[in-house]
Amino acid sequence: MPRPSRPTSRRRFLQGAAAAAVAAALPRGARALTPDAMLQIGHVQHGGNWNPRPTALRRLGWELGRRTSIEPAADAAPVRLDRPGLHRHPMLYLAGSGGLPPFSEAERAALRRHLMYGGFLLVDSADASDGAGFDAAVRRELAQVLPASPLQPVAREHVLHKTFYLLDRQGGRVLVKPWLEAQAIDGRLAVVYSQNDLGGAWARSELGDWEYPCTPGGEAQREAAFRAGVNLAMYALCTDYKDDAVHLPFILRRRS
Amino acid sequence: MDGGTFNAWRLTALTPLPAWALALLGVAALASIALAWRGLAGEPRRARKAALVALRALAALLALALLAEPALELLQTARVRNRFAVLVDASRSMAFPLEPGGPSRAAAAGAFLRDHRAELERLADRVDLEWYGFGGEVAPVDPAQAVRGLEPAAGRTDLLGALEAVTSGAGASSRRLAGALVVSDGADNAALADGLSGATRARLRALGVPVSAVAVGRSAPRDLAVERVAVDDFAFVRNTVTVEATLRARGLEAQDVRVVLRREGAVVAQATVRLEPGKERYSVPLSFAPDQTGTFVFTLAAPVLPGEAVTENNQRSFVLRVIRDRVRVLMVAGRPSWDVRFLRGLLKQDPNVDLVSFFILRTNADQPGPQEDLSLIPFPVGEIFGEQLRTFDAVLFVDFAYGPYRGLEIDRYLPNLRDYVRGGGALAMVGGEQSFGDGRYGQTPLAEVLPVAPLDGTSEAEGEFRPRLTAEGKRHPVTALAPGEGPNEAAWASLPPVTAVNLTRALPAGAGASVLLEAPAVSVGGRAAPLVAVREVGQGRTLAVATDATWRWGFLAAEGGQGNRAYLRFWNGALRWLVRDPSLGPLQVEPDAPSVEPGAPVGLTVTARGPDWGPAAGKKVSADLVSEDGRTVAHGEAVAGEDGTARIELVPPGPGAYRVVSRAEGVADPASAAVAVRGAGPEDADAAPRPELLQAVSEATGGAYSALPGGDLPDLALADPEVVEIGRRKAVPIWDRWWTLAGLAAVLTAEWVLRRRWGYW
Repeated sequence: MPRPSRPTSRRRFLQGAAAAAVAAALPRGARALTPDAMLQIGHVQHGGNWNPRPTALRRLGWELGRRTSIEPAADAAPVRLDRPGLHRHPMLYLAGSGGLPPFSEAERAALRRHLMYGGFLLVDSADASDGAGFDAAVRRELAQVLPASPLQPVAREHVLHKTFYLLDRQGGRVLVKPWLEAQAIDGRLAVVYSQNDLGGAWARSELGDWEYPCTPGGEAQREAAFRAGVNLAMYALCTDYKDDAVHLPFILRRRS
Repeated sequence: MDGGTFNAWRLTALTPLPAWALALLGVAALASIALAWRGLAGEPRRARKAALVALRALAALLALALLAEPALELLQTARVRNRFAVLVDASRSMAFPLEPGGPSRAAAAGAFLRDHRAELERLADRVDLEWYGFGGEVAPVDPAQAVRGLEPAAGRTDLLGALEAVTSGAGASSRRLAGALVVSDGADNAALADGLSGATRARLRALGVPVSAVAVGRSAPRDLAVERVAVDDFAFVRNTVTVEATLRARGLEAQDVRVVLRREGAVVAQATVRLEPGKERYSVPLSFAPDQTGTFVFTLAAPVLPGEAVTENNQRSFVLRVIRDRVRVLMVAGRPSWDVRFLRGLLKQDPNVDLVSFFILRTNADQPGPQEDLSLIPFPVGEIFGEQLRTFDAVLFVDFAYGPYRGLEIDRYLPNLRDYVRGGGALAMVGGEQSFGDGRYGQTPLAEVLPVAPLDGTSEAEGEFRPRLTAEGKRHPVTALAPGEGPNEAAWASLPPVTAVNLTRALPAGAGASVLLEAPAVSVGGRAAPLVAVREVGQGRTLAVATDATWRWGFLAAEGGQGNRAYLRFWNGALRWLVRDPSLGPLQVEPDAPSVEPGAPVGLTVTARGPDWGPAAGKKVSADLVSEDGRTVAHGEAVAGEDGTARIELVPPGPGAYRVVSRAEGVADPASAAVAVRGAGPEDADAAPRPELLQAVSEATGGAYSALPGGDLPDLALADPEVVEIGRRKAVPIWDRWWTLAGLAAVLTAEWVLRRRWGYW
C-alpha cells in the first residue's frame, strides 16, 4: 500500500522551495514521514488555561525542522491525560497561566505510567508566577505524580545543556529563575519545568511578528529560548547521547 | 513363694476396678479413720485412743487391700550380650606409608590387629565382637582377613558415618553397641574433614558409645600437592583472570618449584614458588587473559619431586567458561526518532552492552547557527567503518541512509561492512524512511548480505498493520516472546500495530534467509511484505526490521497495561541471536558436571534444533571426547527424543582435560564443551595421617586412644551392658490368702470388744 501524498504545509512549502534550489546537490527530495516517526508533541489539556501561547509549539517545530534533522509534525496534538492515545506522544508539553484544578487520580496514574515507561514532559509556566498561580498548582501536581522524584535544579553541566547547542544561559519571555528544574527517574530527566515562559518567547503571529517582548535579555534571550527548546526536544529523543565518551573531547575543545 | 525359674518379681494389682473407684474407696477408708478419731475426742487416756484408731486404720487398710486384689508378678529375666565393633580403615590413604620409608598403614594396622587379636577376643566373654572395614561405606569383614591387612581401596573416608551406621545396627542386629575400636590413619574427608565442630561433636556424643582409637601413622609423608584451586566459574574474554592455587608441601627441603597453568595443552601462565622447611602451604596466584570465548579445561600442575608419596595430587584440572564481557554495539541513526530513542534506552540499560552510538542530528540543509555554539562532532566515518569496525560485535543501522552524506564517502566503506558481516560480524538494518529501498541499499554491497531485497526507490507503506508470525518465526529465538507456540502467537497478536512498513522482498530459498514476521496487509510481488527477517551469511548474521515503529510494542503497549516486556524480549532476543549468544545455538551439549571423579563416566545432554528451530526429534546426534593432544578417545551416539534432546555417556580413559565435541544430523556447526577428569580424588589429595582427629574423637566419646607405631592396645571402654528382657511372667494373687480375711475379721472383732469394754457405744 503506497503512501498517499500529504497536503502541503507551510513548513513543507518552505522546504520544498529550498529543495528546489539545491535539487542537484541533494541525492533525493525530502520526504514526508509517517506521523509516528515524526516528533509530534502532545499538548496536555487540563482544567485551567492550558493553551496560553497557541502559536508557540508550531513555531518551535518550525525551528526544529530548520535547525536539526528532527522531523517535526506540522502542529502539536492536543491530548488529555485520562484519554487513550496518550502514549502516541512520548513527548508531552504542559503549559498554563494561573492556577489549575487538581488532576484526577486517573490522570495522575496515566501521566505517571507515561513517564515511568520512558515518556518526557516539558512543563512551561506562562504567568511568571513564583510560589503562586500556575507555579504553585503545577508543583502540587508534579509532587503527586512522581512523589519519589522531587523537582531539583538541573545542573549547569547536565547533558540537557549540550544535547545540540552548548547552552550557558536561560531563555524565555521572562527570567523568573535562571535555571530549569527537573524530576528524574533512574537518572533520566522525565519532567523538566521552566518558570520562564519558553512558549511566550517562541510565540509568533501568523504575520511573522513576535507576540511578546523578552525581558530583560531581549532577542538574545529569545534565541536562548529556541536553543533551549531544541535541546529539550533533542533530549527527549536522544536522552544522554551527548554524554557518550566519544563526544567529550570535541565538546571540551569547543568550550576551552 | 515358689518362684521356680523366675528370678525377679514386682507388686501389682489384679482388681478389675478402675483407678477412680479405688481412689473413692481410699477416701472412704480415710473417712472411717477420721470418724473413729472424732468419736474419741473426749477420751483422756491417750493409749486407749491410739489403740482404737490404730485398729480402725488397720481394718481400713486390710479392707482396701482385699478390694485392690494385690498380687505378686513373677518375672523371668535375662542379660543380653552387647556388641563391640572393631572398625578397620580400608580407604586408599591407608596405602601410604606408616612413616617415610616404612610399611603401608594398612599393613601396620593388620600387624597390630594380629598382635592383639587374642586380647580382643577375650572381650568375648562380655560382648560379641564384630569386625568391619570402612571407607565411604561400612561392611563386615572376616577377622582373619582384617589381621592380614585390608586392601586400601575405598575412595573416601567417612569415620562418623561408619560409626553411626554400626551403632544403628549395620550388623543386622538390634542389640546395643557397647563400644567400638577404630583402627585408622584418621584422614577423614567427610564430616570430620575439618576436625571436630560443635555439630559433629554432638553427633559423636549421640552415639552413646565410647569409641577407642588406634591411630596408624604419625608423620606426614613427603608430598607436594595442589591442594586447592580457587577461580570463578566464568571469566571475561580479554580480561585478566586470576587463579588462586594453594600448594601444600610436606617433608621437602628448600627448593624452587615451577607451577604451570595450561589450557588444553598450551601454557597460559606459570609461577615459581620457593619451598621453605617448616612451611606447609603456599598461595600461588596465576594470572592470564583468555583470548577466546568458550568453555575450556585448565590444568594446574606442580612438578613431581623425587620420593613423593603421591604423585596424582600434583595436578588439578578445572573448567572455566570464558564469556564476552560486554557486547560492543555500534548504532548509527539517520535522525533522532522515537524508534531509535527507545532502542538506545534499552541498549544503554543493559549492563552487558557497550554501546557506541552516532545520531545524525543535522543535515547539510539545516541552519543551526554558528558551529562553535553546537555540541556536534564530525562523524568519524573512517575510524568507525575502517579501523574500529572489527571491534564491534554488532552494527545497527536505524533509519540510516548512506546517500545524503556523500561528502563523508560512507559508500566507500560499505564493502568493508559486507566483509565484516561475512567474517563473523552482525548487522541489523532497522526501517524508517531513509532505510532499505528509500536508502537505495539495493545498489550497494550490503544488498549481498541483507536478509531481504531492499527494492530501491520504493517507499514505506503507511497505515496500521498487524504483524503475523511465519512458520519459521513461530520457532525462532528472535521472535520468541513467550514460551510455546500458542502463547507466542497470542503475545504477538496483542501488540499494537505498526504504522509504517518498508517495502522489501523476501529472498529466494537457498540464500540462508528466513522471514520471521510479515505484514499480511502489505503486499510486495503478491506476497506479504517481510517485517522481520534474518539471514546467516558466511560466518555472520544479519537482521532486517522493516519498520520504524517497534517502539510502539513497548511504549504504546504500556498504555494498555501490557508493560513493555514484549519489546524488551524482542530486541534482547534479536541482539543475542545476532552476536551468537551460545545459548541460542541450534546444537547444545552440556556435561552433567564440569568435572568428574576418576573412573566415573561423563554424562552429556545434547539438545538439537532443526533448520526451522523446532526440536530435531529423531535426528542422530553424536558426541566425541577429545583429549588434549587432539585424539578422539571416546565416541557415543544417540537419537534425539521428541523434545530434541538426547543423553550420551562417555567413559574417559583416565584423568585429564577433555573437549566434548557434539554433532547432529542436519546441523552444520558442532557444539563443544569441556570436562575435567580429576587426577586425584579426595583420598589421594592429602597423604597426611591425622592422629589428633582420632584422639579428639576418643576423648569426645569417653574412649581410649593409642597410636602406631609403638602404641599398645588401649584399655577399651565399654558402655554399661545392663539390658533386661522379660522372657516369662506369672502373677501370684495375695488377696485370697486365708490369713488376709482372718486378719480383717480379727481386727474388726478386737475393735468391737475394746469399744464395748471401754464404754463407747
